[in-house]
Amino acid sequence: MERKEVMDQLTTIFRKVFSNDSLVLKDELTANDVDQWDSLSHMILITEIEKDFSIKFKLKELNKMRNVGNMIEMIISKI
Amino acid sequence: MTSKDFIIRNATRDDVPFLVDTIIEAEKSGTDKLSYSTVFDLSEMESRTYIAKMLLEEVDGCELSISSFLIAEKNGCIAAASAAWIEGIDGIPSTVLKGNLLNSILPKKCFEKALAMNLILRDLHIEYIADTIQLGLVYVKSDFRGLNLVSMLIDEHVCQLQKQAPTIDAMYVQVFGNNLPAIKAYEKVNFKVVMSKESSNEEILRYLPSNKKIVMKKKLFTE
Repeated sequence: MERKEVMDQLTTIFRKVFSNDSLVLKDELTANDVDQWDSLSHMILITEIEKDFSIKFKLKELNKMRNVGNMIEMIISKI
Repeated sequence: MTSKDFIIRNATRDDVPFLVDTIIEAEKSGTDKLSYSTVFDLSEMESRTYIAKMLLEEVDGCELSISSFLIAEKNGCIAAASAAWIEGIDGIPSTVLKGNLLNSILPKKCFEKALAMNLILRDLHIEYIADTIQLGLVYVKSDFRGLNLVSMLIDEHVCQLQKQAPTIDAMYVQVFGNNLPAIKAYEKVNFKVVMSKESSNEEILRYLPSNKKIVMKKKLFTE
């Protein structure tokens, strides 16, 4: 899967989880940049990503992800 | 019995049962509503099991980190505990670390309910300010209240966390609006209310102790 495809699929997931149709993802985006990114939203976000990409993150992998760019690299390494 | 009889120490894995009590009592905020149960559709016993598992993962930097907790004890008897951390010290917000733990430890059956709850609960979300000390959870057993243990715990948190980041000049705590004893206790140790957030959605009261959250701030001295 190409990086752009992953980004597009992630955008759909982010927009659904944060109920924000105009949310634009970029590599540098972090939890601090998105309104209402609390622990519950984050848990749901990761669960949706795992479901959509049919992957499973380890806790240590999750705790290394600092931004969307890290997330994309991790997803690509697993699909 | 006076506060001089107590020692303050860092929590260890052996303290997990008391840390679970602390998290449960602080979450209930003087009511019988435990968000882990109401939001994730878990019994209190199940919630206890999963909270213990999350603590034992030893992820640092959030309210579910053993390393965030201090214990007040007297002759080996634990009287109180509290959790505090420096928000985002490693560049990752504590909410993300907690969300990662929830994702990794809770059974998948919890997510359906959580998904439905997300829109309602985010009304009360207040972001933690990076590079400040966040006081997350405090619990004093009923027999040991009025002994100044909260103040002792807070002083030790500040002392330890300012060694890690000497320029930090503020400590924050978020409290449910119904928890007047906690608000008074924090005022007594120089916290002041700096903001509040209220949800007009009354359904939130089915899941949380209050539809109002208050943020309190304590200014800290720096060298």
